[in-house]
Amino acid sequence: MTAYTVSMEHIPGLLEKWAGELDVHVPEQDPDGFYNFIAWTPETEIAWDYDLAYNSLKRFFLPPKEDTLSFDMETMRAEPVVDAPKQLLFGVHPYDLRAINQLDQLLEMGEPDVNYLARRQNTVIFALEPSRVAPTSFWASMGYDRVDLGYDLYWTRISPSSFYVEVGSTAGEELLLAAGALPQATGMEREAAKRERLRVRARSIKQGGLKYPWQETPRLLDKSWESPIWRNNSKYCLSCGSCVTVCPTCYCFDVREEVDVDLKKGKRFREWDGCMLPSFALVAGDHNFREHAMERYRHRYFRKGKYIYDKIGELGCVGCGRCVRACTSRIANPKAVYNELWEATYDEA
Amino acid sequence: MKLDPKRSSYLPTPATLKRKEKLSEHVSLFVFEPDNGTLLGHKPGQFIMVSVYGVGEAPFSVSSAPVPDSKQFELAIRRTGTVTNAIHELEPGDRIGIRGPYGTFFPVQEFMGKDTLFIAGGLGYIPLRSLLHYQLRHRDEFGRIIVLVGTRNPRERIFTDQIMELGKRPDVEILETVDQPDQCWEGHCGVITTLLPKVDINPENTYVAMVGPPVMYRFVLSGCEDKCIPQDRIYVSLERRMKCGVGKCGHCQINGLNSCIEGPVFRYDRIAPLKEAL
Repeated sequence: MTAYTVSMEHIPGLLEKWAGELDVHVPEQDPDGFYNFIAWTPETEIAWDYDLAYNSLKRFFLPPKEDTLSFDMETMRAEPVVDAPKQLLFGVHPYDLRAINQLDQLLEMGEPDVNYLARRQNTVIFALEPSRVAPTSFWASMGYDRVDLGYDLYWTRISPSSFYVEVGSTAGEELLLAAGALPQATGMEREAAKRERLRVRARSIKQGGLKYPWQETPRLLDKSWESPIWRNNSKYCLSCGSCVTVCPTCYCFDVREEVDVDLKKGKRFREWDGCMLPSFALVAGDHNFREHAMERYRHRYFRKGKYIYDKIGELGCVGCGRCVRACTSRIANPKAVYNELWEATYDEA
Repeated sequence: MKLDPKRSSYLPTPATLKRKEKLSEHVSLFVFEPDNGTLLGHKPGQFIMVSVYGVGEAPFSVSSAPVPDSKQFELAIRRTGTVTNAIHELEPGDRIGIRGPYGTFFPVQEFMGKDTLFIAGGLGYIPLRSLLHYQLRHRDEFGRIIVLVGTRNPRERIFTDQIMELGKRPDVEILETVDQPDQCWEGHCGVITTLLPKVDINPENTYVAMVGPPVMYRFVLSGCEDKCIPQDRIYVSLERRMKCGVGKCGHCQINGLNSCIEGPVFRYDRIAPLKEAL
């Protein structure tokens, strides 16, 4: 495995180079204290030690609103619209990259989604080992503290002034060496990176997570369809969709269109939708297949804990904890829900 | 993976309206032909996505049987929302966009040599008509054809002439009912389940194909159970809200299944354990 050592002072020059070729996005802390990925400029102060980006990174592959088709209403003919800027995401934490890897699988499965895949193919990802754990996160207990694929480079800060950088792809290595040769990492530096990973992992574990092995979640849900937790919690659900909006693995969308003022041409677009919103499963004839907040609330936990697992063998919840923060009713904590189900199932047994 | 943006799954191809015919106050039949001169290539039970540019896109079951020498296909559509209203406004020569066919279908090979019991509630007759016409075209290869048709009231009956013609055929048994009769209705009254005791079937040799409104399934399935028809010989078509047609948008999920790719036609034993199916 090729790896280099990169000193902090080397990074501004590299960013300058990269920004000439790609749209570079990095984590930054905003004036209110929230971390978020923003477009890099030479003035940007990168938040190397960010704990969690407020918004997930799915928007770089599946924008909140995206054109998919342009059409001519006079000829009734259409052309596909596929917009895929060349972009670099620098500083992606492992659990977020695992979420992206899941979307890659789910959107390629069956009929590939060209809009998503074109964006993904034009995106370079530099992963970053987290140095802190957000208070609402529980990713280590979900098995998402590691990622083995999907990155072009993997950065680990091994001292205040240096990074251990593991190469994941040729494209990543070329970008890393764009400003000149770099020293290969030593065995000691590799050990330092490993220690850092284990330190952060231990932190995440210590903070508490699932009280049982994550692999049990689908089986647990099989026994939990009738659990009172769904009704008890969803009594407080505002059906606002905040939890699905911030979730890095939620990708449901609605399809709509808009017409130019001259009524001759128009665009079809998709925009984020969510199974927590009341009209999500409404059909013609006013029949709603998930009419009650309880049904929608339960569906979300089944989707994350079982349905996605049945498709790709991983849980759809990566433990980032964004939904925990976004929910104003304080009912969206997957860790709390799954743990409560676990305890209830054991008490009965 | 090599990507070709021109081959977006979301790109419809043009088709032209050849003919339309009113079936009831709100339902009309539309006969389309793809502009590129190819066959639609659907199988009974499948659906297509129809685009009226400027209005939107919606899924519709194909109502005609696949016919090798005809490029035309039929949709029967109830006026109920923006897209269906726009389709009703079309005149012959007007164009739409189509994608598909999508989804699972009735396994006609499996039905061969066996009897088929069709159970059509309301607009459920539309997708079942594809399978029914297929069987009628290959009449010798199938056993008895028994058709139960239920409609809310006589005014909403569709394909009435065709159903009357079928009633005259010696090789088709067809029974019709309405939930709410009017003064002119002389036929059977009551929900579609009340027709089940009237038919005598051989449960060892019968396949069931049923489509209807969501409320219908549970009652009809329990009726089939009374007739000792095994679950693995019952096929149901479950329609949900489909936005993409290719298993991505999430709208049509029945528990963990996407009804657009793993359905809309399901073998009953496969979905019987699912909480959200029926």
